[in-house]
Amino acid sequence: MSKVNILWMYDDLLDLYGDWGNLLAVTKGLDAMGISWEIDHKSLGDQPDFSRYQMVYIGPGKARSLAEAAKDLAGKKQAVLDAVESGVVFLATGNSRLLFGKSFTDAGGQQIPGIGLFDYTGEETGNVFISDVLAHPVFAPETASYGFINRTAHIHGNDRDPLFTVVKGAGDGETAGESHEGNLYRNFFGTWQLGPLLVKNPEILKELLRRLVGEEYRDWNTTAEELALKLTLNEIQ
Amino acid sequence: MKMKLALLLGKLLYLLGKPFGKSTNLPGELALKICPQMMGNFRFDGKILAVTGSNGKTSTANMIAHILKKQGRSVAHNAKGSNLTGGVATTLLAASTMGGRVKQDFVVLEVDERFSRLIFRDFSPDYLLCTNLFRDQLTRNGNVDVIIEKLHEAIKPSVKLILNGNDPISGNLAPQNERVYYGLSQTEQSSEKCLNITHDAKVCPRCFGRMTYTYYHYNHIGGFQCSKCGYANPQWAYTAENVDFVSGDFTVNGCRVHTDYKDVFNILNTTAAIAACTELGLPLEGCCQAASSFVALKQRYDEFQVGGRRAVMILSKNQNPVSFDQSITHVLEREGEKTVVVFINNINHTGHKDTTWLYDIGFERLLGKVDAIVGTGPRAYDLAVRLKLAGFPPEQIRIERDLSQLKAVVDRTRGDICILTELYDAKSILEVISK
Repeated sequence: MSKVNILWMYDDLLDLYGDWGNLLAVTKGLDAMGISWEIDHKSLGDQPDFSRYQMVYIGPGKARSLAEAAKDLAGKKQAVLDAVESGVVFLATGNSRLLFGKSFTDAGGQQIPGIGLFDYTGEETGNVFISDVLAHPVFAPETASYGFINRTAHIHGNDRDPLFTVVKGAGDGETAGESHEGNLYRNFFGTWQLGPLLVKNPEILKELLRRLVGEEYRDWNTTAEELALKLTLNEIQ
Repeated sequence: MKMKLALLLGKLLYLLGKPFGKSTNLPGELALKICPQMMGNFRFDGKILAVTGSNGKTSTANMIAHILKKQGRSVAHNAKGSNLTGGVATTLLAASTMGGRVKQDFVVLEVDERFSRLIFRDFSPDYLLCTNLFRDQLTRNGNVDVIIEKLHEAIKPSVKLILNGNDPISGNLAPQNERVYYGLSQTEQSSEKCLNITHDAKVCPRCFGRMTYTYYHYNHIGGFQCSKCGYANPQWAYTAENVDFVSGDFTVNGCRVHTDYKDVFNILNTTAAIAACTELGLPLEGCCQAASSFVALKQRYDEFQVGGRRAVMILSKNQNPVSFDQSITHVLEREGEKTVVVFINNINHTGHKDTTWLYDIGFERLLGKVDAIVGTGPRAYDLAVRLKLAGFPPEQIRIERDLSQLKAVVDRTRGDICILTELYDAKSILEVISK
């Protein structure tokens, strides 16, 4: 792999928060490994050729913007599902997760279809809900991760392929005691957690990059990131 | 009867608290408990102007009050930035007679954009000036769309809007209301590309088409046009132009204005204040002249000496990236060697450990422009990571999480000390640094 092609879907539309830091972390990691990369931006009305990309990132957006993205993504449904099945790395953070479930209802009660990669449904509540989350990623159960949830929507019925086992804070469950959050299916990473997640958790970044570049993966220095994470976890545990 | 009692007790509390600086919110809150409809019972002899927006509303409202007073008008005004319901109620009850009559020529109310619908539940301003709308404290506010919805609930059909013609978002407020725009033409400091990370108008607020810009003043403020529906800067009734960033002179509709705060953010706010006062019926020349003698509150930008070094405290608002970007602009405007000191806290009020907002701030603009960046506070190491990813060399990133040990680290840096912090943390830093 001489070069990694990254697609940032709806970069202009779904751009609510500093969550693009996830892409910054990915590209800095690739730099450290000496692998070149390019980021393409595609949005409403564009017809990206998903076979060109090794990674797709979609971030959180405002409710109205998300509804527009959902309409647009409906036309790309099969291409996206095929890309996921073929092993393309996806990262979907915040409310962009709603696009990948069966459907979600917006603030006005209107039902908006998702592309159905997962069976969950979503519901816009209109109320801001925030939570620190202390969790273990499923691929590294001994590792503690930190994320921050800031959402106005909720997901129901997400009962397969979780990304996290939640120790403290909010998961996807209907009640506080339920302890899973997010999804990891093939190389699709989906989570409410911001932070940005990949900056805040070098172990998750490294897992994603291992999947992204395969044999070309080699480790690099993330001492600063690990220290920042440790200090955060110390205050939560 | 309730109104009389509310006014009496409110005024009493106001007078008692005044010597202790405790009279900005409580009297109004108490009075509203006694008479929940109090706000609707005032009778106003003059016009009411409300000032709101994400950034700049305090200084703009203060400037408006200054201009009006300079021209001999009487003004009731919540000068201390007490812009929630209690603060507005206190301002009105202090200004009114015992009969509930507010006799001042003008009432200038800075109002928090999120609380505007509650503040204006029982009365309405005649004019509403909105300086701009940006993402701001996402953990509390929700996003820009949520703020707009709240503002729309507050804006009654009779309100005349005074809007920023460089802002596609706030410029699109309540489209059915009567409105007048002000704007700043392209300047020598304008950029073709957005220099900031935070850009809330990448898509058109009307149709979601991709927005194009011929120039940026800062963030999403500039010269814009939607590539799909054509929505573009509206016609301005008040045009600021001919900006001389060295002298601080510019013109509004050809009339000269001077300011000591020579950044485009302040020039736009000054233009907003002049536009508002002119709309209130004052002559443009007099407004421009009065605006030129305005001195901002020292609170947000204060220079002092630390040992033999010059230091400046530049305050920004909590988790408000545009405000932080402004602070960075102030740093870049300073000549000579400088060190930046940044205090990064947990989320105020809730204590959450989130630092996502650091990725909305363009720290990259400081690359190659500073001797060092010193990070302190509970989330200082998250700042270190942010700066590392921005490309700062390790020797320029100095972290001392413990505020009490900060001075020794700062003493090992060079140049002017620029302290970038949130309002809440300013005092504690000042105490440590100036020891």
